[in-house]
Amino acid sequence: MLAVLFLLSVHQLPAQLPDSSGAKQLDAVVVTATRTERRVGALPMPVTVIGQPQIRQSGSLRLNDILREQTGLAIVNDHGQGLQVQGFGPDYTLILVDGEPLVGRTAGTLELSRLTVGNIKQIEVVKGPSSSLYGSEALAGVVNIITENPGRTNSSLSARYGANRTSDLTGDVSLRAGKTGLYLFGNRYQSGGYNLNPETTGNTVSPFLNHTLSGRLTTAFGARLKLSVSGRFFTEQQDNLFSLTDRRVVSGEGTVRDYTINPVLTHQVSDKWKLTYRYYRTGYQTTTGLAYQDTREAYDDSYFRQTFDRAEIVTERTIRNRHFLTVGAGFIGESVEATRYPGRQRFTTRYGFSQFEWVPSQRFTIIAGGRFDAHSQYAAQLSPKLSARYEVSQTVALRGSAGVGFKAPDFRQLYLNFDNAVAGYSVFGTQEVSAGIARLQQQGQIAEILLDPSRFGDIKAESSVAVNLGAVADFQKKFDRPLRLSINLFRNDIRDLIETQVVARKTNGQNVFSYTNLSRVFTQGIELDGSYRAVLGAGQLTISSGYQFLEAKDKAVIDNIRRGQVFRRNPTTLLTERVQLADYGGLLNRSRHMANLKFFYELPKRGISASLRGVYRSRYGFADTNGNLILDEAGEYVPGYVTWHVTASKTIKAFTVQAGIDNLTGYTDPQHIPSLAGRLWYASLRWDWVRKLTNKQV
Amino acid sequence: MKITYHILLLTATLATTFACKKEEATPVVVPVQAQTVTNIAADTTTGVNPTTGQPLGTTGKYALYSLRENKVIANTDSASNKWDIGFRGTTIIVNGGPIRSGQGGAYVHTGTFEEVTTVPASATFAQDQSTSALAIPAVSGGGWYNYNSSTNIVTPIPGRVLVIKTGDGKYAKVEILSYYKNAPATPTATSRSRFYTFRYAYQPDGSMKLN
Repeated sequence: MLAVLFLLSVHQLPAQLPDSSGAKQLDAVVVTATRTERRVGALPMPVTVIGQPQIRQSGSLRLNDILREQTGLAIVNDHGQGLQVQGFGPDYTLILVDGEPLVGRTAGTLELSRLTVGNIKQIEVVKGPSSSLYGSEALAGVVNIITENPGRTNSSLSARYGANRTSDLTGDVSLRAGKTGLYLFGNRYQSGGYNLNPETTGNTVSPFLNHTLSGRLTTAFGARLKLSVSGRFFTEQQDNLFSLTDRRVVSGEGTVRDYTINPVLTHQVSDKWKLTYRYYRTGYQTTTGLAYQDTREAYDDSYFRQTFDRAEIVTERTIRNRHFLTVGAGFIGESVEATRYPGRQRFTTRYGFSQFEWVPSQRFTIIAGGRFDAHSQYAAQLSPKLSARYEVSQTVALRGSAGVGFKAPDFRQLYLNFDNAVAGYSVFGTQEVSAGIARLQQQGQIAEILLDPSRFGDIKAESSVAVNLGAVADFQKKFDRPLRLSINLFRNDIRDLIETQVVARKTNGQNVFSYTNLSRVFTQGIELDGSYRAVLGAGQLTISSGYQFLEAKDKAVIDNIRRGQVFRRNPTTLLTERVQLADYGGLLNRSRHMANLKFFYELPKRGISASLRGVYRSRYGFADTNGNLILDEAGEYVPGYVTWHVTASKTIKAFTVQAGIDNLTGYTDPQHIPSLAGRLWYASLRWDWVRKLTNKQV
Repeated sequence: MKITYHILLLTATLATTFACKKEEATPVVVPVQAQTVTNIAADTTTGVNPTTGQPLGTTGKYALYSLRENKVIANTDSASNKWDIGFRGTTIIVNGGPIRSGQGGAYVHTGTFEEVTTVPASATFAQDQSTSALAIPAVSGGGWYNYNSSTNIVTPIPGRVLVIKTGDGKYAKVEILSYYKNAPATPTATSRSRFYTFRYAYQPDGSMKLN
């Protein structure tokens, strides 16, 4: 009986998709770019795939660890560690787990370290707008984290310890019986934090402890109906302690919690027709309880709670193996409750999307699609996208895409209701500003209304028109050389960027702010990637390298400089001079040059592997210091820097020992990059167990 | 501490040269002298109330300045035309309007200090209509300064020149250089605020020429 079950389970293994090129890592199958399974090499848009072997060899623990080493991606710090793609800030990239969005952003940043990489099978990064499939936030791109599926019966356990009293304990188990599989995963991550400024009270990063539990149950009803139910639970506590500018010390605990539940029913009606029903619920909440240490008086006692519910139905049809049609529709309900928002706010989105892929010949693919989002709070949004790929020869393929992306106004921009008691200014979300001004007027606090508060309610989503053009050369097929090169040119024109706007002046001389569609900016650049595999002794060496050139500028600032309306103060003479166009450094926090160089070495016979990875960021703007609010002077930049990371591991039977050092040279910049701890060593032990199928069972 | 120096502008020189070609008898134009005044205490504080965040130790009085005399005028003379410009915190007042005694006024010009060579005849001088409607708007981004709410730093906006009509009806131009004691290049949270450093040029002959 058992034997039969196992026999069945072997046949039920997910079918390995044909690997035509023979270069396994180079041509993985991804789902994010088109919502259907496609080889990376066959896609008409730039997609990066990071597989589990690379994540493990790099010794990564959290999502930010592995993303920072990828070409064109930068980890930026603003209320957490977020992702910068093609020069867009963290709020413009959608982060998905198995196709479902993660929520819980602070000032637009989704903290990437909330995600452990222990249960990740593959990370897919699509660059360029993908709102035509995913809606809001998919303006710069989409990161989709594909987690493990219950495969055969196996289990693993790993433990790691390193500098800053950082420990990580990860375990998973996968069980399979017939058509039913269960995957369970647990992670405990703890750190003692670190302090880069010993002269001040408190730590740069305070000690924290977090736990992640996740799992998936898959089963099939007959040959055509499959059900998968996944869930995730995350909780973190952090012990904060820091001193204020007046030297008073504040301490207390902060907590973060999130959960997801995601049932998906797949109905393969026929070979050519598939229906997918998905439901997703996620919640995110934080609490902060900070108090003065001397008097125990409350300093900050706040909470934030957000929920996101989505129901979606998608149908995929294949017509004569040349036409692939995907049509979907869904409903999103969101709510938020927070200290600085009045009451519980809700909003809803109804959407429909469609994508048509046409493959007229083996060498030519064209994809056209679009999505319509109707939102309860702001104007409806249409996001079309067109992309195409053409194989010039066996080696070279050209690809191009043009599309529209958008980002909805966030909760803060809609509902914030905040009076700063210390500085005396007030900030209201667009839906609150009329009532807020009326209240202040009644209290006699308004000196002058500068803009009609009622017009702020008509806020629009931020949107961008993007073009990506590129070429990929794979020298495997024709020249039998494991060399792959790619180039991508991108340009994004963003309009209606939401910024703070003064609405009224208060009698105390301070302003009342709200949010409105103001700026137009552009980002453009070139991305180059290359990888080569060489035989080195009995082993194999993979060398890969990438480079991104980036320009990201505000069009209004450029116009003002051209008109001679922008000035700066010489810091030593204090005299004013005109800013020239060449002085303008663009948006803050963008490096003009970013590069990486990675070596992965494997000696499978001896179970040895090693890696050396270097990541470079050129100087980037930090803040305005000469009074004109733009980046135009050398002193306003953070110096460029390189970090090197090294690992080595050895596998003996079921055990793998790994040791590594992150930030080998110990580079730090406490003032500008508090998230960059010094040199960090670590060592880990991993145990893998797979249930063997004996001859008797087969 | 006061520093005085001459600014000989190219435009001034050119104007003289052309004038000389035309008419030999024209008297040589004496350039208006630009002065830099440092550390004018504008109702300074002794600290901040930790619970309310309100400044402590302030008097609510303006530091009144005479551009002609190049010195601070006593507050007892506030109801006279002896002073031209006054400072208190980030608020700058002029000696003209319904709530003042003088004939003054001001407007904010965008450009460099040197470029303001004459007051155009079409210029309109605003006056202090009420404590909340001043000639020079006392608001971040709208007048002479920017306030950064995350660093709490007040920065004079470069390229803003305050064109002033003095209490007794003469013309001057003023550029605020710093709001912090001893005008540090990059003020920090510990820099002492409410100390004005500014430079100005005053035309004593009552004409609208400012160079």
